[in-house]
Amino acid sequence: MDRFVDLAVSAVLLAGLYATMAYGLGLIYGVLRVVNLAHGGVIMAGAYLGWILHGWAGLDPYLSIPLVVGATFLLGMAMYRVLVRHLPRGPAGGPASLLLLFGVWLVLRNVAYLLFTGNDQVIRTSYSTHALPLLGSFVSVNRLAVLAIAVVTPALLHLVLRRTYLGRAIRAVAQNADSCTLVGIDVERIYTLTFGIGTALAGLAGLLSATIFSFNPGFGSGELLKSFVVVVLGGLGSVFGTGVAALILAIVEVFAILVMPSYLTAAVGFVMLVLVLVLRPGGLFGQRVLG
Amino acid sequence: MSPSRRFLSLALSAAAALAAALLPAPARAAKDRILVGATLPLTGSEARVGGFFKEGYELAFDEVNKKGGLDVGGKKLPVQLLLLDDTSTQATAVSLADRLVNSDKVDFLLGTYASHLVEAQSTVAEENKIPYVNGGGGATKIYKRGFKYLFGLISPVELLGTTLMQWIDEQQKAGKLPKPAKIALVWENTAHGKDFRKGVSDFAQKSGGAYQVTVDESFELNGKDFGALLGKVKAAGVDLFLVDAHLPDYITMHRQYVGAGLCHKVVTYGARGAEKDAIQALGADNTAYVLSGVWWSAQLAAKPGASRDFVGAFKAKYGGRDPEWFQALGYETARVLFTAIQQAGKLDRDAVREKLQALKMPSLLPGGTVEFKPETGNQVQNPFVVQQNQKDGTAPIIFPKDAATGTGTGANPKCAK
Repeated sequence: MDRFVDLAVSAVLLAGLYATMAYGLGLIYGVLRVVNLAHGGVIMAGAYLGWILHGWAGLDPYLSIPLVVGATFLLGMAMYRVLVRHLPRGPAGGPASLLLLFGVWLVLRNVAYLLFTGNDQVIRTSYSTHALPLLGSFVSVNRLAVLAIAVVTPALLHLVLRRTYLGRAIRAVAQNADSCTLVGIDVERIYTLTFGIGTALAGLAGLLSATIFSFNPGFGSGELLKSFVVVVLGGLGSVFGTGVAALILAIVEVFAILVMPSYLTAAVGFVMLVLVLVLRPGGLFGQRVLG
Repeated sequence: MSPSRRFLSLALSAAAALAAALLPAPARAAKDRILVGATLPLTGSEARVGGFFKEGYELAFDEVNKKGGLDVGGKKLPVQLLLLDDTSTQATAVSLADRLVNSDKVDFLLGTYASHLVEAQSTVAEENKIPYVNGGGGATKIYKRGFKYLFGLISPVELLGTTLMQWIDEQQKAGKLPKPAKIALVWENTAHGKDFRKGVSDFAQKSGGAYQVTVDESFELNGKDFGALLGKVKAAGVDLFLVDAHLPDYITMHRQYVGAGLCHKVVTYGARGAEKDAIQALGADNTAYVLSGVWWSAQLAAKPGASRDFVGAFKAKYGGRDPEWFQALGYETARVLFTAIQQAGKLDRDAVREKLQALKMPSLLPGGTVEFKPETGNQVQNPFVVQQNQKDGTAPIIFPKDAATGTGTGANPKCAK
């Protein structure tokens, strides 16, 4: 029984991490229909931003959230205005956007190699190894914080999307961009802001990951793959679906250790991805538009 | 272009290529230098270590050239290193080695760093029958392919497992550890991890029941969560927690380990643990008593000998910085090749290969001698040095005794049970 509780706690915490990594990717796809392959690079950039702020300014990683989110938001808007905007819309833009954003990722990664070398870095705070007793097992303070942020983020996103003019405009653009133009919504502005928000979410995920893992310029590729699995499982474009899919993926991965060697558990997620793509191409919760 | 013109231009190019291939290369005048080719991962994921190996290589080349070069059959020839960046990728490592051999016409090759790169690149040397000496490919499988021109100065990771177990065994015999001792053996799912596992489990099997491997689990590189794995270790109630991991996984796993309140009488992460970065990342208190085995340590300079000479020369060249085992292996790799060339007395590749095969050279590596035996595929079998982290952030050598700079603690005093 203890073992079961331990595994369940582990799964929930891991789900928090996966969800945080995936929200940005899901949001950008939901609105722009662009798979942001630079997502992994921005996660890495977020980690380094947090590391710089912690190392040079002594800023606690959680206090640096607004700065990192702000900086990556601006980076995202710039990426959209300078690059993504010029791509053809619709299916024709698919391969072009994949290549372009993959290129952006390579540039980000190599700039990081140039600036920071390939050394592994960590953010160490006084509470890095602190844990709280919970249901008979110990839970890392950092992982709890990540989980809390993973729960709060979709709630905030939901509020923004439902209650604000901007949110309504984003949903409208996601449903039918042409009609939005007719009723006076500045579609390009909405795309820019959405790309900024999605990128900022990736930056946030990077910062939070940096409190748990060590990282180097190659960081972010594994995170991108996991995010991709989560977003497809949850149904592209569904924020809550993303959260639930993260939980499902984490539960399956963690509990798989009971029936298979632990090195195979990482593959379980990808098997799920294939199954979902074959059996339910719209995702476990169907394809929604930012529900 | 009309079909006939296209044919003509094709035929002309073919004729030119054929002529270039058949004409004899300009006969070289008598050699005035020895050209040694190498690639290292100077950019990409292995860039940090690649840079370290470069420092080791350059120091060895400088030393020889300051003395006027190598004595080859009574004539002093300077050595020149032609070093290229393989960007930490296999394909580049292979194509650049090909270029070094066929276009730059190097006389010999020194190896790159990281097992997967050495494994791929050494095939080029073997195909061209060029001696290839490396200090960066530790996986035993590289040396099980029957290659004749491949020589490895880095002891197998299997021996790392064995050396750690030898120290543990001393502690058990001194009554500091329970008998039988239960082991949780956790290894990364790579050639590195598999070799480590073999070293530990072979030792346990031959111990006549003194050690029982109760948990035997592997994990994927760059794991995101070790909670489930550590839960399994916890449930098994083991005495020894023996892990083989690279730095990122060591940091992630040990953070979770400490956070989960786990404690074992002996904890090791293989070659990891004594790095200043890791101690800083995890805190000296949390890493105290962690064991690690390395191929060489700057602490070996505490006693007079080859290591002290190397550390002195390294510090003089690189601004007083202490070398790590990477630079030491790079330096020694180049020295081994130089020694074989001098012994051969000529630049004939096969003669140098034979001298490498017969080499028995005093060395800075633990054990004091370098030799290549065909039964181990020409991979050296020098022992590791075992270090143990202390609460003050230092990590003295505790094993083998003749190299020790401190005394080891048998069972982690932090564990209540």
